[in-house]
Amino acid sequence: MKLTWKIWLLIIVLICSGIILSPNFEKGVVIKSVEKNSTAFDQGLKTGLIIKSINGENINNFEDYTRVTNTIFPTKNKTTVKFGTSSGEIILFTNEAPRITVADIPRTKLKTGLDLSGGARALVKAENKSLSSSELEDLITITNNRLNEFGIADVSVKSVSDLSGNNFMQVEVAGATSADLNDLISKQGKFEAKIGNKTVFTGGEEDITYVARTGAESGVYSCGEYQGEQVCSFRFAITLSQKAAEAQASVTKNLSTDPSEPEYLSQKLDLYLDDSLVDSLSISRDLKGRVTTQISIQGSGKGATKQEAYDDALSNMKKLQTVLITGSLPYKLEIVKIDTISPVLGKEFTKNIIILGLVVFIFISIMLFIKYRRIKVTLAVILTLFSEAVITLAIAALIKWNLDAPGIAGIIAGMGTGVDDQIVILDEASFDDKSSLKEKIKNAFFVILSAFSLVVVAMIPLFWAGAGMLKGFALTTIIGVSVGILITRPAFADIVKRIIKE
Amino acid sequence: MENSPSHIGTKNWYDKYYKLILLIPIILLVLSLAYLGYFYNKTGDIMLKDSSLTGGTTITLMGNVDSAALESSLQSQFSDIAVRKLTDLRTGKPISIIIDTSAKPEVIKPEIEKFLGYKLTEENSNIEFTGPSLSKSFYNQLLLALAISFILMSITIFIIFRTFIPSLAVIFAVFGDIVMPLALIDFLGVRVSAAGIAAFLMLIGYSVDTDILLTTRALRTKGGTVNKRIYRAFKTGIFMTSTALVAVLPAFFIVSGLPDSFRQIFFILMLGLFADILNTWLTNASIIKWYCEAKKID
Repeated sequence: MKLTWKIWLLIIVLICSGIILSPNFEKGVVIKSVEKNSTAFDQGLKTGLIIKSINGENINNFEDYTRVTNTIFPTKNKTTVKFGTSSGEIILFTNEAPRITVADIPRTKLKTGLDLSGGARALVKAENKSLSSSELEDLITITNNRLNEFGIADVSVKSVSDLSGNNFMQVEVAGATSADLNDLISKQGKFEAKIGNKTVFTGGEEDITYVARTGAESGVYSCGEYQGEQVCSFRFAITLSQKAAEAQASVTKNLSTDPSEPEYLSQKLDLYLDDSLVDSLSISRDLKGRVTTQISIQGSGKGATKQEAYDDALSNMKKLQTVLITGSLPYKLEIVKIDTISPVLGKEFTKNIIILGLVVFIFISIMLFIKYRRIKVTLAVILTLFSEAVITLAIAALIKWNLDAPGIAGIIAGMGTGVDDQIVILDEASFDDKSSLKEKIKNAFFVILSAFSLVVVAMIPLFWAGAGMLKGFALTTIIGVSVGILITRPAFADIVKRIIKE
Repeated sequence: MENSPSHIGTKNWYDKYYKLILLIPIILLVLSLAYLGYFYNKTGDIMLKDSSLTGGTTITLMGNVDSAALESSLQSQFSDIAVRKLTDLRTGKPISIIIDTSAKPEVIKPEIEKFLGYKLTEENSNIEFTGPSLSKSFYNQLLLALAISFILMSITIFIIFRTFIPSLAVIFAVFGDIVMPLALIDFLGVRVSAAGIAAFLMLIGYSVDTDILLTTRALRTKGGTVNKRIYRAFKTGIFMTSTALVAVLPAFFIVSGLPDSFRQIFFILMLGLFADILNTWLTNASIIKWYCEAKKID
């Protein structure tokens, strides 16, 4: 039994696809994100590393990880914790749980889109301003940094543009709610520190070289009642860059002392977040015209109870710290579209789509058998269809494409055209007229190639229309029909030739 | 298998009436276009759009909720609210309800929570919001995409066949495949989503293969009479369309609990496939036969 090279090609590609899609049963948890400037980060815990054990205890999944870390932390005194990872042992000497987020190791390389896995997605643009692509790149970098600072895992931030040339930033967060996303993106526009109407510094590495976030230099330090409300104050230290400190000195140099409070200068250092005043810091008389790099930033939070005020102060502090670290944006952001999909519904959808796929396969098999009355022919068509779906999925996994519901609809619809093409080959080949089998297959391929080029041209505009929201549908459809035309159809034609010769 | 005796009878009948047959799809197409015109006059657009295209909020609630009571309780504050119910076809049990409104999520969510008496969480609901500025351009661009697809498709068809009338016949058939389902969808009052418009694009690629098969067999293949070749193409093509229908039908009648975007894609493909049976085998086939007779092609 000799197989042609086309059939071999199909077999090889199919095996490769099988390997790509094969489930992963490795034990452990994978690190999704590590907070910068934390002990964990310094000791070499990196995103993508797999934790297999902690202090000799095996970690098989996420539950194990939380159970083990909860028994160790928090401790009063610093202790040694040994992490067995995929790249050797990493030892932390700490009294708090490592500032990392972890997740179960994904079982397949197939990624599902938000509508199937659950999470939130936002499409963001600058308010009253169109962004150039370089501005958009900066925005994406800053947003990525902010999301990392917050320790949010499984984020994808990318630029998308639409047919009229508008640029948007798309943020997808698995498992987050829309409120979280809203908070993260739109409420953190810009930070400015002003004296009078002069901006002295903004956030970001250029202006601020260090922001204290732990220890004695940072935290909520006092709470009390003020006008019937609980108020808590926070403070943290920052280090200004030489340039920013000099800018501040050049402004304070011209200030006089405040007549009512002679130990302070006449104007205050005002901190603005999104154009609203966070705090006004009195500047000591001694600092007039002096280049100081060490500054303490203060602010407050309030609430009905002391706990609420404390939490509010803590979250305000974190927000301010994040902005100071990552830098501020020169414009405000506007969320133009935001979706939250329940992970529970997503799971249900995935299950039902798999059932649908099976039902479609069974129905097509029955129809083919009724028409051709031959097991071999039916099997050939079904196996070809199946390979097509598997190869398409493997390519999606390979290019790390997130499969969403329209994308899967594209694959199933692609199977519809796939089966059509095979019917053309079968019918064309089984005509009893004078032309040779080779001629007949050639005729069939003329129809198939024409149909293929039409599907492709019909899908191309979807790559750009509407900020590429339907790119998934277009892409899986094109991948599907391309796999068909390049790999499975030629092999199928050879299989049909064999069956007919028999 | 190919030389069925019934074919001889078909031939005479078909020779006599094929031009008359052409009238059926043309009347349907004119009716569809007229309805679209009427619809445009009435609503100001060629289709009803859901919140993904008009801007607004779509909330999907899981489980058994009294959708009629919810709708009437929200109606007073949100006049444009639309509540749909998804039911499992086999068991008749409600799966989820879908609420569409132009209001923002912050506004509508508390009202729904008040009615339900529990909080909407990510465990029990989906919330999708599209801002009005985005949705307007989004919709226009999808229509533009549809137009571009149609033009690219037409050019490709001319390149493939290189003859005017047969190419035009294919393009005319595809036009019918889009217009007829659209009219029907408007008639049924379906609110089209972004994914739905993508399905119309898909229709172009999906419905055209039977037309190509027909044209190729009628004009390029040798042997047999024109009728015989058209009939052979018909036998293959109708089976192709039936299997394609079998691929899309279970999404409505057998498997429930699929994402809404997914169901709409399949619904539009289904309507398109039915329209395609008419447009390929009545419109396109008649034009091709006419063309062959005029050009004396055997």
